[in-house]
Amino acid sequence: MDALLVRLIILLPLAGAILTGLVPLFMPGLRKNESLISTIGTLAVAVPFGMVVYLFLTFDGNAFVATFYTWMAAGDLSVDFAYRIDQLSLIMGLVVLGVGTLIHVYSIGYMHGDDGFWKFFSYLNLFIFAMLNLILADNLVVLFLGWEGVGLCSFLLIGFWYTDLKNSAAANKAFIVNRIGDFAFLLAMFLLFRELGGLDFDTLLNGVDTLSSTTVTMAVLLLFLAATGKSAQIPLFVWLPDAMAGPTPVSALIHAATMVTSGLYLLARMSDMVLAAPGVMVLIAIVGALTALVAATIAITQTDIKRVLAYSTVSQLGFMFMAVGVGAFFVAIFHVVTHAFFKALLFLGSGSVIHGMHEVEHDLEHEGHDTSSFDAQDMRTMGNLKAYMPATHITFLIATLAIAGIPLLSGFFSKDEILFMAFQAGYNGMPVAYAVWAVGILTALLTAVYMTRAYVLTFRGEERWPEAPSIAPHESPLSMTLPLWTLAILAIVGGYIGLPGVIADGDWNWIHHYLAQDYGGPVADLADSAGFSLPLALKWLLIAIGGGVAILGVSLAWVAYDREGLAFDDRLRERLGPLYGVWEVKYRLDEVYDAALVNPIRDIMGQGFAKADASVVDGVVNGAARGAAAFGRVLGRIQTGVIQRYAVMMVLGVVIVMALILFV
Amino acid sequence: MIQQVLFLFLAVVAIGSALGAVLARSPINSALWMVVNLIAVAGLYITLNALFIGVLQVLVYAGAIMVPILFVIMLLNLGSMPAPSEIQWKHVVAFILGVALLTQLAFVLAIGLDALPEMSVSEEAVAASSAREIGKMLFTRYVLPFEIIAILLLAATIGAVMFAKRKFA
Amino acid sequence: MDLSQAYDAMLGDLAGAFPLVLLAVAGLVIVVWDAFRNNDPLLPYIAGGALAIGLVFEGSQLASEQTTLFYGNIRAGGFAAFINMVLLGGTLLSVVLSVPYLRQIKHAYGEVYALMLFATVGMMALATGNSLIMLFVGLETMSVCLYILVGLVRKDEGSIESAFKYFVLGAFATGFFLYGIALLYGATGTVYLHEMQSGFAQSGATTMFWAGVGLLLVGFFFKVSAVPFHMWTPDAYQGAPTTLTGYMSTTSKAAAFTALILVLYYALPPERWTTVLAVVAVLTMVAGNVLALAQDNVKRMLAYSSIAHGGYILVGLAAGTAAGYSGALYYLLIYSIMNIGAFGVIALLEWDGKIGREQTMESLSGIGTQRPFLGLAMAVFMFSLIGFPPFGGFFGKVAVFGPAIDAGLTWLAVIGLLASVASAGYYLRVVYVFSFKSADERPAEAPATGTGFNVPFSSLAVLSLCVVLLVVVGFIPGLRDVTTHYFIDMAVAAGTL
Repeated sequence: MDALLVRLIILLPLAGAILTGLVPLFMPGLRKNESLISTIGTLAVAVPFGMVVYLFLTFDGNAFVATFYTWMAAGDLSVDFAYRIDQLSLIMGLVVLGVGTLIHVYSIGYMHGDDGFWKFFSYLNLFIFAMLNLILADNLVVLFLGWEGVGLCSFLLIGFWYTDLKNSAAANKAFIVNRIGDFAFLLAMFLLFRELGGLDFDTLLNGVDTLSSTTVTMAVLLLFLAATGKSAQIPLFVWLPDAMAGPTPVSALIHAATMVTSGLYLLARMSDMVLAAPGVMVLIAIVGALTALVAATIAITQTDIKRVLAYSTVSQLGFMFMAVGVGAFFVAIFHVVTHAFFKALLFLGSGSVIHGMHEVEHDLEHEGHDTSSFDAQDMRTMGNLKAYMPATHITFLIATLAIAGIPLLSGFFSKDEILFMAFQAGYNGMPVAYAVWAVGILTALLTAVYMTRAYVLTFRGEERWPEAPSIAPHESPLSMTLPLWTLAILAIVGGYIGLPGVIADGDWNWIHHYLAQDYGGPVADLADSAGFSLPLALKWLLIAIGGGVAILGVSLAWVAYDREGLAFDDRLRERLGPLYGVWEVKYRLDEVYDAALVNPIRDIMGQGFAKADASVVDGVVNGAARGAAAFGRVLGRIQTGVIQRYAVMMVLGVVIVMALILFV
Repeated sequence: MIQQVLFLFLAVVAIGSALGAVLARSPINSALWMVVNLIAVAGLYITLNALFIGVLQVLVYAGAIMVPILFVIMLLNLGSMPAPSEIQWKHVVAFILGVALLTQLAFVLAIGLDALPEMSVSEEAVAASSAREIGKMLFTRYVLPFEIIAILLLAATIGAVMFAKRKFA
Repeated sequence: MDLSQAYDAMLGDLAGAFPLVLLAVAGLVIVVWDAFRNNDPLLPYIAGGALAIGLVFEGSQLASEQTTLFYGNIRAGGFAAFINMVLLGGTLLSVVLSVPYLRQIKHAYGEVYALMLFATVGMMALATGNSLIMLFVGLETMSVCLYILVGLVRKDEGSIESAFKYFVLGAFATGFFLYGIALLYGATGTVYLHEMQSGFAQSGATTMFWAGVGLLLVGFFFKVSAVPFHMWTPDAYQGAPTTLTGYMSTTSKAAAFTALILVLYYALPPERWTTVLAVVAVLTMVAGNVLALAQDNVKRMLAYSSIAHGGYILVGLAAGTAAGYSGALYYLLIYSIMNIGAFGVIALLEWDGKIGREQTMESLSGIGTQRPFLGLAMAVFMFSLIGFPPFGGFFGKVAVFGPAIDAGLTWLAVIGLLASVASAGYYLRVVYVFSFKSADERPAEAPATGTGFNVPFSSLAVLSLCVVLLVVVGFIPGLRDVTTHYFIDMAVAAGTL
């Protein structure tokens, strides 16, 4: 029964992707039937969500593995399509499918009228399928498949409006930057397979003790590098802000709530191994802290609402890596969960705002205004939207307060737990953790400031678009506001699954008890085994600092931006001088990478294949639909082409031959 | 130890210069990168105690073959390659395939490394790589392949002449 | 090793590999002769004479024990004599067909014959080679000569373009081949085929060994134009002078297949590569036949058809048994006869002045009634290519599909049979157009008489010989057993070599 459910959970989104993708592809009449497509697409996620809820409620504490079939078995290597259901994958599954369902619902309204409506839902379902492979996999190979799959979907969705060159450039950037991380992942897999002779998690995690410390360090380092790619950390975070070129629901689902957290999931899954490499953990903590700080400083200077949120995501991911670095894996997952709620909410809220601003742009155009320089995402043209979009306004405010860490909202609990764990790690003899904690506090302050700035500039003050208020945006439809309200509730109460240690001596920290190994979960935990516990008073003090910083940041920014509006940015620029300049140009990291990494890679690909013209893929796809003779003609068309295409076919052949001879 | 350092250095130079040869826009730069690459590979041969092969590599490839290539490039006055165009789907396909192939080969190497014998420097091995011994081998054990290579080169020369005549035909 | 001793022994080796040496020397003579008396009409006779002498010599060696020469680098006698006869015979037929054809298209260069001889030297080295080095050198010698021959018609853009494509892709495939050799050497510590097994058992480098075999297979697949490594084939076959297309589509394939058989024979256990060969065989048979169906140009159609035939041979190899290997050799012999013949007929009917590249099927309407002999010969070749009894092609198909069924690959044989049935579609179309359509139905741009040039006596003789051979080859007693016998021999010899 449970194994059947697992099958359905994995396969339904795939079926949805096929139904919403292939069927309209061949029956163009269905493409415009939005209600049918959205119903199928949403159900393909909602039903598995129900199943995961069922599995979650009936879960008896014992992990089980559902094996589909043995994928390849060659000598020592045996890889199964096997999926693992345990506490960690259930939590991730709930988040991915739950938030996924809401975003599907939201997309019905947001994508309404888009020519690629069907393609969009197909890609979204495909993404969910890949993401489920990633989080439910029982071995690194299947996990890697999912890992690549989500990367591919991300590529497809960032470049969804591919007619705009900028978007496809962003998609390519994301794809290529991620390849660096993927390469590290592959190396890690080879290394581990070589040393341990297997890639399923039982073999890997039980075999950690038998490995030399060098091997473990190398493996963890490589896995971490892989995680920096997917989860947008220094040095590979540059793709995420550009990835905002995709439709906003994509930003919410992929680039805030789910895919970008897969690096954290990977490290949590491998937590036993990560703990065996304390040197790398120090590195992880430092990288996380630096990323959090750098991204937060950039976020302060951004005027594009989605870019603020993008940098905020990078920054929050940095927080999660800080937690991993100090060995508090369950806290990282805790923050993944709460962050999924409030960040998805922020993105969807911004999507609602952009939706409204597009309406303004459209009306302005109608009135004969030149709208070529009008940017629907630019906060400088917004203001006082609270009067026009009440639901969006309230939910956005809740999310802002949550991410800022205002006490008793979800972000407060998870972020505070991270800072607390960092401090405790320092207390237990990891000196760098104090620095990490300090950076974390500073970043928390900045977070409160830039999020409040975004909120105030968008929803308060005066209308800054032309012809206001005669031309005004309207509230989004119910299909968009309903997910907003749902997420808002989650953003408020989501934190209560992990109440801090000061309450009931940590006994009410449900997520800790659910995930941590000491209580029968899958995630290792450094903090518990280390033994030292902080004095109660100190714990309360830390909580007070955390909460205080958030309140301070919010109130400062609120007062400043509410009173001066955009002008306060200029004052900041004056006051901070060159520092602000550095933030404003995003530390020039993009330019550095372009020169050092992106351009050479682009050159390789561009030069090698610049001359090939017609597409092999198109040819094959077209051919599948016709009869044998027509099939022959299509293949013949491939045949007439240029030599590079022949070479590509040959490489495909080589890959197949090698795969058959090595793995069958 | 010193051997390993040397190896690493030469390997990095070889790979780097190979990349340079592929990436350079101007054919002259590309050819010069290739010279560097050939010399680095010659260095690798020498660290493997194949002194004679290493010297030949420098003389024949880096010297005798690259010089005509450079002459041809200069005589034809070849311009630089045009700037690469935008990345398209098929590039992604090709790239994925390339990565897949690389993955397979890396897998083979990763699994196979253990089976390779330890590198040892025996007197015999050094002696066997001397010009005298190589000459002996070429004219005894490998005389037939050697002679057929001669035919191969002759055929290639005939072909080059036949294609070159095209202009005057 | 004392050099003078070594040279004493070498005389014996040279005598044992007499045809190889003879062809090389004859090729050199032609090159030098051509330098002094350009395009002397005598040159083809030198080539033909050398080939004929070699053929007779190998015939005398057919029954002798198999040995190795030149320090185990090459085989002679028995099995090697058989495949050398196929190569020499195919080359001889092609040379005879080429003489009038090349004169007709005004490309009667002396170098062509030298290159054909050199290519044959390479093929023999490849087919009889016993070490990886020999295989590689032979493969490259053959390939370089063929690149040049494909681009022979220099004025024709298509010819040059196809030669270039063939060259670049060939170099690409060679890279894989060479890497495979390196991996095999790394895994076994030897370059000799018959020592690979023991070296492999000693090192235990399973993955590396099989990766080496896999890459070697890729190189061979390219040369025998198996799908998906076939992309160069239609272009190259269409761009080359037609009689040379017949030459390269048969002999080079025979040589590469023979070497592949040897490699497979020593790469055990066969379970490891059966799947690969079966998959590639299916792809090749299906794609070759389907694409051939869609062609309107006879030459290109025959190019795809020869791809498909490579697939049938792969079926025999996939069986991995002595019967399968010998069946493949037998098939190669028959395939060479029918393909050289078919291309020979097409060569005589070209009218577009572009070596048949733009000639459509319809423009050949009614040729069979105007030229009854050509019509009849073409019909025999086509029926044989279909695999219709009592022609040779039928026995060839039995010889490769039978062992596959014995080895438990029934499904593969069934696909092969279905593919053969489908192939009847385009082969019969040729017969239909040749003999059942009237000359009046030709499109307007075809010349009025449409008969190309007069059929010279030499061509007539070669085509007649091919027809006769195809009719009788299935009934020559013991021919089939000859090839089976070799593999039993080799199994014994493998231990003693």
